[in-house]
Amino acid sequence: MIEAKNVFLRYPDGTEALKNINLRISPGNILYITGASGSGKTSLLKLFMGIEAPTKGTLNILGESISQCSSKDIQKIRTMMGPIFQDFRLIKGRTALENVLMGMRFLRFSTRSMEEMAHDALARVGLNHKVNSMVENLSWGESQRVAIARAVVRKPSLILADEPTGNLDKENAVKMLELLSSFSSDETAIIITTHATHLIEDFLDCRHIVMEAGNLMEKGWVEGV
Amino acid sequence: MKYFFKNIGYFLKEVGTILRLNPLSNLLSLVSTSLMFFILAMMIAGWWISNDVVEVIQGEAEINFYYHEDLQDEEIEELVNRVMTVDGVETALLINADEAYNRMVDILGKDAEVLKHFDDNPFNSFVEVKIDIHEIDAVISTLESIPEIENIRDNREILIRLREMGGLIKRIGLLVVVAVGVATLVAIAHIIRQGVYNNKEEINTLRLLGAPEGFIAMPFILEGLLLNLAGGLLAAVMTSFALMALYSQIQGPLPFIPMPPINGLIKGLVLMLILFSGTLGIAGSFLGLINSSKKGKIKVIKAMEQKK
Ligand SMILES: Nc1ncnc2c1ncn2[C@@H]1O[C@H](COP(=O)(O)OP(=O)(O)OP(=O)(O)O)[C@@H](O)[C@H]1O
Ligand SMILES: [Mg+2]
Repeated sequence: MIEAKNVFLRYPDGTEALKNINLRISPGNILYITGASGSGKTSLLKLFMGIEAPTKGTLNILGESISQCSSKDIQKIRTMMGPIFQDFRLIKGRTALENVLMGMRFLRFSTRSMEEMAHDALARVGLNHKVNSMVENLSWGESQRVAIARAVVRKPSLILADEPTGNLDKENAVKMLELLSSFSSDETAIIITTHATHLIEDFLDCRHIVMEAGNLMEKGWVEGV
Repeated sequence: MKYFFKNIGYFLKEVGTILRLNPLSNLLSLVSTSLMFFILAMMIAGWWISNDVVEVIQGEAEINFYYHEDLQDEEIEELVNRVMTVDGVETALLINADEAYNRMVDILGKDAEVLKHFDDNPFNSFVEVKIDIHEIDAVISTLESIPEIENIRDNREILIRLREMGGLIKRIGLLVVVAVGVATLVAIAHIIRQGVYNNKEEINTLRLLGAPEGFIAMPFILEGLLLNLAGGLLAAVMTSFALMALYSQIQGPLPFIPMPPINGLIKGLVLMLILFSGTLGIAGSFLGLINSSKKGKIKVIKAMEQKK
């Protein structure tokens, strides 16, 4: 699903954000990425989404080699992903439903099934009462859940969540991670970055890697206590 | 295209949102495009009318000649027949003095009273010759060489003046078409670029979600098309009113000017305005999109270049 070999990422200003990354992610994996601020977590997700291209090494995502593919191929890969951005990137002036629909309209869904799926996704994140609310009137947590609904509604092969626990207290952070894990399946891999290292230990059956100044360290499989 | 019809409602709604984000500049662009299209339509109407008038007058091109008074009836008849055989002459008709008098009475109408001051009919008989305008010079020189013909009157000057005017209007018209085309294109491209700029967050998010460029561009193309079509329609309304006013001004006091029928003229202009504004709208949108997507693509290109 994702295979990185000796991948480097250097930003135009010379920052070496990622150094010699080797990583393999298979369908069904739930992967946690932790690490200090500035260690390269978001940069790694940007590589996976085709926002940045590796400056060195080979990166294969969902069957496409990122170094060789066209922007059309990147666009196609992106339709198979469910990104949940740190700042959510919801569109103001639109309802929660419209925000969920905006990622589906150009895919092969009929109008009717699209609406049904969007309602289901919003119900799944506990927002069936906010379907027609404007997103700018939603609380932070509600906005986050709209972003999740928009990401998962497309039945993506890869769900990418950047810092979903950032603003949450411990109890809600755990709930959030549980919600995200609930979307995992044999065909779907989930990648979550978080600062909340201590919480991950509560989760069974997940993979944990740690970033440190652009270097990746595999912590292996976390066993629940 | 596969997602166009499915999403037409969504696209139109997006157009509405884009327009609402910047109502003033969209309104201004609507006003300016409709004014430009109005000028264009009036120019073309002028061209059309003058062409028509010249054509009708040219079709009626005629010259009159007076013959020596001492000619006998048979000689006159023979002269008329001879003139008819001249190349470029369509018909030649003898108008005798009485008829000439009656015609003047018709033309003068109420003022025909003045003719009563004459004891005799002041008019002479003459021959009215309808000719092919393009042969006018040859015909006149042939007629001049016939000794029985005393005097020739023609409306060459008026015709030449009209033709020149038609040519001038055509040249100015062409200039106006080009100028309006370019100005509209630039105006629409600019408004689209502004729309893209105002919506760059949304556009970026759509890109990150894997929306094809065509899907992202569609609302902007529709915006340009609809804005320009609205401008074209407004111009069509203004043009119709202006032409109706013009016709009522001209046809009352100057009924003999052979103006083309107003209905056909307006229909033709409206059709032309719709086609022209629609085409320019789409073209302008593309121009604006190409212009603004350059910036968006640079990032991708840079990222690609760095690997090498
Ligand atoms: N577009 C960019 N241009 C230049 N440097 C960048 C860019 N984006 C990130 N960086 C730098 O790359 C390094 C890694 O940044 P990144 O955003 O990946 O960290 P992070 O682990 O996500 O941090 P945080 O936990 O604070 O979100 C940082 O030093 C950052 O300043
Ligand atoms: Mg980050």
